[in-house]
Amino acid sequence: MKRGLSMLCSIIMLLIVSACVKGAEEDLYKVVYKSEEVDIEVEDKQNTEYSIAIIPKLINIPYFNAVEEGALKAGKDLGVHVIYKGPRTAEPSQQIQIINEFIEGGEVDVIAVSANDPEKLVPVLKKAKQHNIRVITWDADTMPEGREFFINMVHPETLGRHLMDTLAWNTGEEGEFAIMTGANSAANLNEWLKWIKVQHKEYYPSMSLVEVAATDDDPHKAYTIAKRLIADYPNLKGIIGNSSVGPPAAAQAVQEAGKNGEIAVVGLSPPNDMNEYLKNDAAQVVTLWSPKKLGYLTVALSRNILSNYLPYDNQDIPGVGKIRMMNDMVIMGEPIDFVKENVDQYDF
Amino acid sequence: MIFKKFRDSKLMSKLMLTYILLTVIPISVLGYIAYSQYTKSIEDEVGKYIPQLLEQANNNIDNQINDFKNLPDAVYNSSQVIEILRKDAYQTKSTLLQDEFIVNSYLSRTYINNGNNDILGVFVLSKGRMFKSAKMNYKGFNKDSFPMIYGDDVDLQGRVEIILPSQTDITFENNVPFILFMRELRDYENQETLGAVFIAIQLSFLDEALKSLDKDHISSIWIADQNGKNVYHTNSDLIGESDENYSNYPNINGSFRTTQLAQNQLISRNELSATDWTLFHSVALQDLTKETDMVRNGTIIVFIIFVLLSTIISIFLAWNVSSPLNKLTRLMKRVEQGNFNVDLPINKNDEIGILANSFNSMIQKINQLIKKNYQIELRQKDAELYALQSQINPHFMYNTLETIGYAVDEEDKETVTKMVTLLGKMLRYSLNNKEKLVLISQELDHINDYLTIQKFRFEDRVDFHFDEQIDTSIFYMPKFVMQPIIENSIKYGLEKLEPTLISISIKKTNNDELHIRIEDNGPGIEKEVLTKLNHSLGQNPMAKRSSNFGLINVHARIAMIYGSAYGIRVESEKEKGTVVIIKIPASTNREIG
Repeated sequence: MKRGLSMLCSIIMLLIVSACVKGAEEDLYKVVYKSEEVDIEVEDKQNTEYSIAIIPKLINIPYFNAVEEGALKAGKDLGVHVIYKGPRTAEPSQQIQIINEFIEGGEVDVIAVSANDPEKLVPVLKKAKQHNIRVITWDADTMPEGREFFINMVHPETLGRHLMDTLAWNTGEEGEFAIMTGANSAANLNEWLKWIKVQHKEYYPSMSLVEVAATDDDPHKAYTIAKRLIADYPNLKGIIGNSSVGPPAAAQAVQEAGKNGEIAVVGLSPPNDMNEYLKNDAAQVVTLWSPKKLGYLTVALSRNILSNYLPYDNQDIPGVGKIRMMNDMVIMGEPIDFVKENVDQYDF
Repeated sequence: MIFKKFRDSKLMSKLMLTYILLTVIPISVLGYIAYSQYTKSIEDEVGKYIPQLLEQANNNIDNQINDFKNLPDAVYNSSQVIEILRKDAYQTKSTLLQDEFIVNSYLSRTYINNGNNDILGVFVLSKGRMFKSAKMNYKGFNKDSFPMIYGDDVDLQGRVEIILPSQTDITFENNVPFILFMRELRDYENQETLGAVFIAIQLSFLDEALKSLDKDHISSIWIADQNGKNVYHTNSDLIGESDENYSNYPNINGSFRTTQLAQNQLISRNELSATDWTLFHSVALQDLTKETDMVRNGTIIVFIIFVLLSTIISIFLAWNVSSPLNKLTRLMKRVEQGNFNVDLPINKNDEIGILANSFNSMIQKINQLIKKNYQIELRQKDAELYALQSQINPHFMYNTLETIGYAVDEEDKETVTKMVTLLGKMLRYSLNNKEKLVLISQELDHINDYLTIQKFRFEDRVDFHFDEQIDTSIFYMPKFVMQPIIENSIKYGLEKLEPTLISISIKKTNNDELHIRIEDNGPGIEKEVLTKLNHSLGQNPMAKRSSNFGLINVHARIAMIYGSAYGIRVESEKEKGTVVIIKIPASTNREIG
């Protein structure tokens, strides 16, 4: 009896002891359930190794200079190498040449281009794509097959209609007006032009469009055209500058003609160029977005696609704010109107 | 060693141990496995369930935090405020104060009075100015004491930084726990920094989100930042403290348990996606299995009762088997010591009962056999003694010697010689005790010697003759069977005046029996006496009775040797004579049996 008990005890002890030994070998923590491993973030590539090429329509005009400023700031903020290089004139062929240089150089990861021609650039952009370069467009789009997405500053309909409205406010909704656009081939300008005409047709029957003149974004040419328009159309009540070169040229021409306030000048232009004209009534309203912001956004989105992080609607881009996304078009925000009261607030 | 011990231990211990092992081990193993599986499944269940709850809570918290992160955006909604923030310099103090008033009231309208109770205060630092609006009194956070890194030069690239109370000098009334959301205010259009906005959020929003996780108040819930510092803890004393184990925790969204603590914990964790924080939930395993512990304790009690019962049953069963065996052993020892009056009183039909019965009948048989041999021996001795007595009977001796004396007187030398020779032969036969069985012819010789001596003495008054119908020299019979009968015949025959004639005939029957018939013409036996005599003969030959009664002695000896079917029969008729028939088997075997 006693012996039997002691034997039983020893067997139980053996079980307990073996359990203890097993326990000691285990880890401090035993995973019971795992829904997912917490990612320990792996930097895909050092930011500084990325090179992003930003190609404007042309360089050395204030608008694109402001873009460059924003782009370079973004490059600094995000730690990527930004190469800002564009043609001296708004020629598609020069842009093609620059793009080819980038492809041959083989150092850039993204090409973001503001296209001077929606179709002519497509082959070279496709070629870039074959060389593992991501391609997006900004400011002015190409055909969709040439790029991944397009960064638009504002919604073209909103902008086009708004430009027409700003002119109408300042002419009493009547009289003759002319439009100075950039290059005839620029897709974005043509889109805005379309909506200006639609708005005109819909709401302002008393106003008449007398001419649409192309400046090719050449300030000198634009100035010449403005002078010609004022001379050609004595009843001219207003000029819409459809590209950033237009309003300063038109305002200068109006001022020189001594017709401040008589011929309304509105359109797209950076406020710095127009500061003086706005204050002396040579121009009434200029509309634009922040080209710095555009440059910043372009670099930021370029950086994101390198991490395969595509833009989406309502995305909050640090340093830019919320963006909208419509199909494959990013819309940066709403247009800003610059008038003499607020023009000092802006620095571009 | 153990097994040798076990093998040598008592049957009862062995049986008991076996029974107990057979019941206790399977039950305890089964119980242990069932209990551990059950608690493990609870653990798994809870370990799976809590992370889901945490995830839900986290989603809520994430949403809240994302909402809070978006709060600074409201500043952009007012172009007037942005315009003020864009200003660098003031001509007069009053314009500065006016701007401050405009911004402060905008902040109050937007953040403090909009019904969001979680916002304790909003502070905007911009170009050396500070705009503020707070729900309750606070200390600290003036632009001089506030560290420069949170000042104008902040460059968060649009991210929202969360600042813990320990990183600032700001405190609110009643030490309300809070966190600060800091965000750079950026002039998107000019791509310049306007300043920074700080929004103090009361931590009570976490209470709300986490309330549902700890309904029973048995668990701890805390949120740790990326350094393991507690942003939030259900025990508010621990807010701001660091968890030293933080870096050791497995990097998973899920559950794990500690294994080394006295009170092991089941810890679940889930990362917040809006921040670098991690939500933890910890509950003692003990608390989880509290309810099952009742079941476990009940099971243990039942188990103990069961073990006790099975022990009792096993004792009973083992006793049941071993006690008859013990009894048997004791009885056998007694038998060994010579006591055959034993009885194993077991009235069962199982193997033990059969064994007991066999034992009983065996002992009985042994006892009978011993008794029988003993009696045979005794009778034999009696018979020998009787024969010896009758030969050295002083009367017989005297008579014989007297007869011899007469013969000497008459100088009948021949008679003397013969008689002395006969007497010698008789004495030798009597003294030769070695064999129990003798050839019939030897016994007949002896009778012949005896009768011849009697004939010398009584001359014509005694006569006899033999009638042997078989070869008496091949069959055996017990010694001294006939002499007592013949003595009787002579003794009673001489009482009559007529000569006594004794005739002895031996024949073999068809069923292999020998009938030795001793017939005399004596006075016979009275009917009553004969009846009594025959009755005595019919009784158990083993029964003890007077050895003086020679016939009965003879009968008993024959019956003992050959069985009760054999013995002597007496027929008699008054005044006509007596016939005594000895019935024995026709045996050519000189040994008994």
